Amino acid sequence: MTAIFRPSANLAATLSLAFVAALLVFGVGWWWAWPRVDWSRHVRWYVVQPVPFSHEHHVAGLGIDCRFCHASVEVSWNAGLPPTYTCMTCHSQIWTNAELLAPVRQSLADNKPIVWNRVTDLPDYVYFNHSIHIAKGVGCSSCHGEVDRMPLTYKAKTLTMGFCLDCHRDPGPQLRPKDQIYNTQWQRSTDTPPPATLLAQYHVGGRALTDCSICHR
Amino acid sequence: MSPVSRQWRSLDQLADDPSFVSRVAQEFPSLADALAAPSDRRRVLKLMAAAFAMGGLGGCDVGAPGGHLIPAVRVPPNIIPGLPNFYSTANVVNGYAAGIVVKHQMGRPIKVEGNPQHPASLGATDVFAQAQVLDFYDPDRAAAITAHGLPADRQLLQTALLTQRTKIAENHGTGFRVLTGTITSPTLAKQLDALLALYPAARWHQWEPVSRDNVWKGAVLAYGAPVESVPNLAAAEVIFAIDSDLLSSAPGHLRFARDFASRRNPSRTQKMSRLYAVEPTPTLIGSVADHRFIAGPKELHQILVALAAAILQGAPDSAAPDWVGKVAKDLNANQGRALVHIGPDRPAEMHALVHAINEKLGARGATLDLVEPVAHRPVGQGAPLSDLVSDMQAEKVTSLLVIDSNPVYAAPAALGFAEALKKIDFSLALTLTPNETSEAAIWAVPMAHAWESWSDARAYDGTASILQQQALPLYDGIDVHTMVALFTEPAPPAAQDMLQSTWKSRMNGDFAQAWHDALANGLVPNTASTKTNVSLRADAGSQRPPAPPDRPLTILFRPDPSLWDGRYANNAWLQELPRPLTKLTWDNPLLVAPARARQLKLRNGDRVRLSVGKAVMTAPIWIMPGQAPDCVVALLGSGRRHVGTVGQNAGYDFYPLTGRNDLPSLEKAADSVELACTDHHNLIFDMAGDIVRHGSLLRYAKDPRFLAGGQQEPQLYRWKPEGPAAWAMSVDLNACIGCNACVVACQSENNIPVVGKQQVIHEREMQWLRIDRYYEGNPDAPTSYFQPMLCMHCEQAPCEVVCPVGATVHDSEGLNVMVYNRCVGTRFCSNNCPYKVRRFNYFAFAQEEQRPPESRNPDVTVRGRGVMEKCTFCLQRIAEERITSDRENRPLGEFKTACQAACPTQAFSFGNMADPNSEVARRKQSPLDYALLADQNTHPRVTYEARIRNPNPDLDGDGG
Amino acid sequence: MTDIPASASLHSGPRGDSRPPFLSDPVVLPSATNESMTDHICAIALHDRPYLWWWIAIVPAIALTGVLVVAIIWLFYAGVGIWGVDWPAAWGFALVSYVWWIGIASGGTFISALFYLVKVEWRTSTNRIAETMTLFAAACAGLYPILHLGRPWLFYWLFPYPDTMDLWPQFRSPLLWDFFALLTYVVASILFWYLGLIPDLATVRDRATTRKKQILYGIMALGFRGSGDQWRHYHPTYGVLAAIMAPLVVSVHSVVGLDFAGAATTGWHSTQFPPFFVFGALLSGFAMVLLLIAPMRRLLHLQDFITGRHFDVLCRLMLVSSLCLGYAYMMDAFTTFYGPDQADKTMFIDKVSGSLCGVYWATILFNVALPQLMWFPRLRMNQPLVMLISAGVIIGMWCERYTIVVMSLRRTDLPSAWGNYHGTIWDWATLIGTGGLFLTGILLAVRIMPVISMFEMRALIKSRRRDGERA
Repeated sequence: MTAIFRPSANLAATLSLAFVAALLVFGVGWWWAWPRVDWSRHVRWYVVQPVPFSHEHHVAGLGIDCRFCHASVEVSWNAGLPPTYTCMTCHSQIWTNAELLAPVRQSLADNKPIVWNRVTDLPDYVYFNHSIHIAKGVGCSSCHGEVDRMPLTYKAKTLTMGFCLDCHRDPGPQLRPKDQIYNTQWQRSTDTPPPATLLAQYHVGGRALTDCSICHR
Repeated sequence: MSPVSRQWRSLDQLADDPSFVSRVAQEFPSLADALAAPSDRRRVLKLMAAAFAMGGLGGCDVGAPGGHLIPAVRVPPNIIPGLPNFYSTANVVNGYAAGIVVKHQMGRPIKVEGNPQHPASLGATDVFAQAQVLDFYDPDRAAAITAHGLPADRQLLQTALLTQRTKIAENHGTGFRVLTGTITSPTLAKQLDALLALYPAARWHQWEPVSRDNVWKGAVLAYGAPVESVPNLAAAEVIFAIDSDLLSSAPGHLRFARDFASRRNPSRTQKMSRLYAVEPTPTLIGSVADHRFIAGPKELHQILVALAAAILQGAPDSAAPDWVGKVAKDLNANQGRALVHIGPDRPAEMHALVHAINEKLGARGATLDLVEPVAHRPVGQGAPLSDLVSDMQAEKVTSLLVIDSNPVYAAPAALGFAEALKKIDFSLALTLTPNETSEAAIWAVPMAHAWESWSDARAYDGTASILQQQALPLYDGIDVHTMVALFTEPAPPAAQDMLQSTWKSRMNGDFAQAWHDALANGLVPNTASTKTNVSLRADAGSQRPPAPPDRPLTILFRPDPSLWDGRYANNAWLQELPRPLTKLTWDNPLLVAPARARQLKLRNGDRVRLSVGKAVMTAPIWIMPGQAPDCVVALLGSGRRHVGTVGQNAGYDFYPLTGRNDLPSLEKAADSVELACTDHHNLIFDMAGDIVRHGSLLRYAKDPRFLAGGQQEPQLYRWKPEGPAAWAMSVDLNACIGCNACVVACQSENNIPVVGKQQVIHEREMQWLRIDRYYEGNPDAPTSYFQPMLCMHCEQAPCEVVCPVGATVHDSEGLNVMVYNRCVGTRFCSNNCPYKVRRFNYFAFAQEEQRPPESRNPDVTVRGRGVMEKCTFCLQRIAEERITSDRENRPLGEFKTACQAACPTQAFSFGNMADPNSEVARRKQSPLDYALLADQNTHPRVTYEARIRNPNPDLDGDGG
Repeated sequence: MTDIPASASLHSGPRGDSRPPFLSDPVVLPSATNESMTDHICAIALHDRPYLWWWIAIVPAIALTGVLVVAIIWLFYAGVGIWGVDWPAAWGFALVSYVWWIGIASGGTFISALFYLVKVEWRTSTNRIAETMTLFAAACAGLYPILHLGRPWLFYWLFPYPDTMDLWPQFRSPLLWDFFALLTYVVASILFWYLGLIPDLATVRDRATTRKKQILYGIMALGFRGSGDQWRHYHPTYGVLAAIMAPLVVSVHSVVGLDFAGAATTGWHSTQFPPFFVFGALLSGFAMVLLLIAPMRRLLHLQDFITGRHFDVLCRLMLVSSLCLGYAYMMDAFTTFYGPDQADKTMFIDKVSGSLCGVYWATILFNVALPQLMWFPRLRMNQPLVMLISAGVIIGMWCERYTIVVMSLRRTDLPSAWGNYHGTIWDWATLIGTGGLFLTGILLAVRIMPVISMFEMRALIKSRRRDGERA
């Protein structure tokens, strides 16, 4: 009787086994890596806005303070977006008929709010509070990056739960002096007070910041 | 087939009506979306999400930027994005006001709190006030003017009113009638007087389905004037309540409950008060009484006569049961500290007699005050309605204005209001939701919700409050004041101006400032009615109430504890609120005494045929322990025929049986129906004593700790949270009167969904906080106990160890935290919870709710399908306090959980146990403090104070 | 080797087609020779036109599997609320059926692994059937833990993997232990089953007549040629796997027991649960094996290899495990009333006299009372009776799980939380559906796999022959 398989079958069998193994390894690898890739987190994705607002121009160029537009950042969980009126405080004087600003004038004219597209978003079950982070010495750029280098605003950090926990487990290194909080260019340097000092200064450490109940309700 | 119950799905029908959606869209874009999206679409999306997730993408939220940010064009004053605002107003039930404060989020009302400065509230609210949020956002509210059932607009109405004004004017108001409920609003009163002055021949009829006529008539009999008697329970040491509504629904009941509770916990009060109650059917006050006697109308009459004889003439009466003599003795022994109160269902003569008794007991000025009437022209309600109807039948009425009243549904059927209404050529009904009356009237005009317009009202003691507008009108409703004014002038001033014109004269000092303060404080100072010096008429004591007819069966018509006279029938929170004693939801079976049930071989849910003369109706029954065998209780307010998708045909309408004098008869009908009751244990539970610990004051005097938990046993493993705070709660069972305010408050604060009747029958109700009710003793006359039950936040929580994904864990401050977004829904935690306080979203209940997102609490996650949930100790409030205190580097301050804030008796106390000066820490030191199911070794952070009863030794050795 | 036309041996099947089992039977009838046995078993697998009875059986089985698919689709669409689960009975049919199936699965592993290790002869002709049974029973069981989740698409959160949330499963939870136990058990069962098949697959391959079958079986045989070298590796490997499997039977059911014992819930919080669950599992396992071999013996003409001896042994095993279970039931009652917990007593009284007491007494009847008939040797040979009793045990075991899961939950510590439970149509659909899945699996396996481990059987027959010659 003739043999059912040619010797090459052995090779085929081995290869197919190897292939399955490889597939498995790759799959697991992908599963692990994909959520950690910046791209999948939309980090550095420019978001098209009704008005191509440039933080670079307003912050770095004109030196406007963050709080001028994000007025409630120190008192509320919500940093707040500037109402049309805030934009018009200046733009009723300068660039009064710039094409770019037409939507703003329109909004004021027919009392319809400007609809901005979200750049950074946290899931609804996360209750992030801006005011407490500001009060405890966490600067804007810790989460929003170098906004003053952004002609168009984009998401600067992954903002995964892991990202939050890194800091909540050990806040010290992330803290900065009070006067540097709104400085998006700030970097830890030799003359920065050591973490321990800052922690004491801001009275951080009383609470277990990794409790679920700190962020989830 | 949708698994979710009808009540909630059927909102879709309405959502399909484009006109409605567009109307809503103007004010509430997202409400429009919610309504526009059929529930199934949301389901499909969820399914797709699930499909992707199973593809392996899910689990980690890939942080794709979603949605939009929409800043205002110009920020309104005092609004900071993300922070709440609070505006005071008052909640008015039957004309009487109780102060509330409405919490706003970005200008949208989301929660009701009591107003601590208001005498009728002192910070507490009742279920109705709490549920106003849902009423305000009710999609079924009347949205447009209709004439002859056809859509009309203001212009048409104006022209119609113009002809009316001229017609009424030229015949001096002959044939013009106004029908309203009880009115305490000074402005409206002024308007009506002006109206009647302008049209002398016109008449104003006042009528409430659940009337307090007997109270006022009684006062007239006793004092010659309809004076209000204002009890002061804080001063009363012996209280005798005769079929009384003092703690449940009497104007000022929140205040009375607070004062009552202040004398009930022997570990906090010098002298515990003693409460006797005699009543035909169990009420809240009866359930918390030290002695509860059961008596039908006939016995009640005998008892009162005997009591009067014993106290006024000092000659006990032999006809009555012998306990009456002993009670009389006790009352007499406490001159100036005793109080007798009688409910509005008893005839006026009995009220007069009670006034006389109170005078004799020296109650006046001590345990009660007599003050000038609060309501505007209170006396002689009821009668005028019958006049009105007879005039209507006699075609003497040409035009009728019905203001926020529903006679077609609620008027005694015998009167035949509906038929008479057909004979009128101009009838106008101003109603919040389309109802039976607006349906029958020629003109139906949507009324502005109390939060959409300005008004004023007075509390039980006369204190006036300004009801300020809380939000822009959702629908183009007309407010009461404007409506009345429209009958005198074509373009009346805005309601706010009318109010100010009323109050300019009555507020002293700088008006602008006074007005501002009145709004800020929620009340106008020094407006309480003055004490009267009227003296008891000589013949008051000799009043002989007519003996009620000797009947084998009496029907008692009582307002539903949740729906009142039916006006709240479209409120899902109230429909699904387990009634205090029966624990029934969505339904109002006829309540019969166990004895009668045995005699007729009736079981819960069996249908009976109840007939009064020609009026016959079949309804299921519910066996009510402790009810007089010769009485059946028909709860009014259900079975609305035209109310909206929630209340439509829920329950049975007993109004057709009212106002008839024929002999009622009751026989068993064939079938039986399933009723949505939330407790399923045997009626009498003998071990209740282990769960709701209780004892008598005598034993307490001997050994205060006789009910406290046993000493701690040695343990191998004991974990203690080590956080900076230790959140804990103590619940005083001596204070709890089972009024349910906490349950609705919790539901409103925590976005707890309503599940509908079918799901309640399926035992899937979602309330985080429930009030357990246990009976002890003989089913015919049991003693009942209330026990609020919520997550115990055990320090060694059984639920935590069994969750495979760690979705429920402990935080360092002792909270048992439920992380919804980590929950996969194994439900093991619920199985392992000895207290069974966890609730599971078997369906997407919240998403099915069709409630505008604006109406929810933005600080609390709205739970999705397949997720476990439970009481969080109002974590959002804790978090807020944590954050503000940390931000300001100050120690944690005082704040209240939703249930605690709403509770009229301060049964709950919550706070930081680690701070020895905190209220909760002090309460936990009470000798009555005990942990529930301590043997489970869970170390609950919630503990109870055992209930002490103060029985009269003469009547029974120990009532413990 | 020579090709015997497969069809030939079937028409004139092995001797004694309708031969009833006798107590005196040896494990293999003397009439059976290696050749006849191999021919016969291969013929079953290779036979082109399947038997009529097979079609009659497979059609409803597949239909029921369809029911399962529909039930699962609707479940994922509408939510777990379509089931009867409620508050306080948050677990229902799903857990009942899960524990039930996993229990049935035990039988196969126990027979083939444990008795392999102790070199029991009679195991040889039943282990293949038993293992196949285990495989599909475990598959049915494996479905439930995922289906019963509120958010089934997140089931993989039970698996410890490095996620971006920095979260790990909660290793204290019995459910997690169960997750691992079940996973291990299923994987190991598949390996054990397949490893045992390889030599036989090779035999079938060599006997296959058509190219298609040669290739199909060839691939499945993974190039096994029966060289001494391969055999030298094969036997130790098989032994090792068997040694792993045997304790797994005990561990998996102990862990399932801990799902309940690990909770503080009334009626669950008992140290006897792990052994108790093993007893129950074995009982249902043996019952299911009996339920399968009795008809297959007749339909596939296996009278030569499945003899009175097998019925005798299996029935006695069933009897023993039934006695153990009876003991567990007694202890359950004893500890309840010996212990201080009032809630436990209340629950137990409700169990034996409440509205659902029928279920409890059915359990006692089917699991303890009826199997006592197996004391009588003659009855052990009575196939219809044995099948009836086995079927009874299968039902009884389901009732037992129902008693444990539902009745404990509906009477908890606080009376205010007492409730009721009723399975809905979807509960039943899922349960029956898994039954369909099980049947389909068995039938397919019977159709294409050798139903008896031929290589072991050959060894057995050879040894018996040798003994015969010596005698």
